[in-house]
Amino acid sequence: MLGPADWVIWSLATLFEAAVVVCSLRKKVFRRYFFLNLYMLSSVCVSVGQYRVFMHYGRGSLEYRYFYFYSQALLVISLYFALISLYSRVFQELQVERYVRFGAVLLLAGTAWFSYAVVNQSSTRMLTHFVFELSQNLYFIGLVLTYALWGVILKLRETRALLVQLVLSLGVYFSAYAASYAVSNLRPDLFSHMVYLFPVIGCLLPLAWAYAIWRVPEEARIAPARLAVAPR
Amino acid sequence: MSRKLTVVLLSMLVLAGAMGLKTAVTAHGNSPAVLSANGVPVPVPF
Repeated sequence: MLGPADWVIWSLATLFEAAVVVCSLRKKVFRRYFFLNLYMLSSVCVSVGQYRVFMHYGRGSLEYRYFYFYSQALLVISLYFALISLYSRVFQELQVERYVRFGAVLLLAGTAWFSYAVVNQSSTRMLTHFVFELSQNLYFIGLVLTYALWGVILKLRETRALLVQLVLSLGVYFSAYAASYAVSNLRPDLFSHMVYLFPVIGCLLPLAWAYAIWRVPEEARIAPARLAVAPR
Repeated sequence: MSRKLTVVLLSMLVLAGAMGLKTAVTAHGNSPAVLSANGVPVPVPF
């Protein structure tokens, strides 16, 4: 059974995800941030699908488990491409989009190969374990890529305020995932106390994106001096 | 070094870094934690 907090978090997350798409459409930046919106739209569809499977079969059912893990993997891959699209926008002026795409595909293939190598020993439900392993590994790839992107933003003195806010929100999201994952593994006894922490932060990512898209105009610029502390 | 080789090298560095980070994080864990990314209830793992 789900408690009231679970329902509230689930509903708010879906609402905020839909809000990102609505804000993008209203501000006419849907096509400009297409992959971000595609991720949010997919997330809304997956939430609706999960709700139907959850209500029909229940949380402990095999159907819900399969639907959950496979849909989460698709969502993480979608988030990965959203992050790569932010790379493309940052490197837009350098005309290296071809190399960004090549690197993204190579990294995804490398992660898939690594995940396969890890679960290769498991003979039962190998595909499901592979999907689970791949989605977890992609979160860590996303974390490293986001920090690398932040480094690039500082180095190139990127000034587009909306882009900076989107990347920073993603950085907080991935960092929270890694921290929650670490605490869950290092202190399993604390897992029951912090089980809501990551879902709440998962709600805050679409909220931050929706707020940024709604409030920050595309042409807004931020002074590079405010992004990095320059040595005196 | 060509640009393509640089991209390959950077991709491998990111992969190695991310997997190293994951290994460091899970070094003391017995089982992988299942976290819900978008607020949906997490099912019982297989």
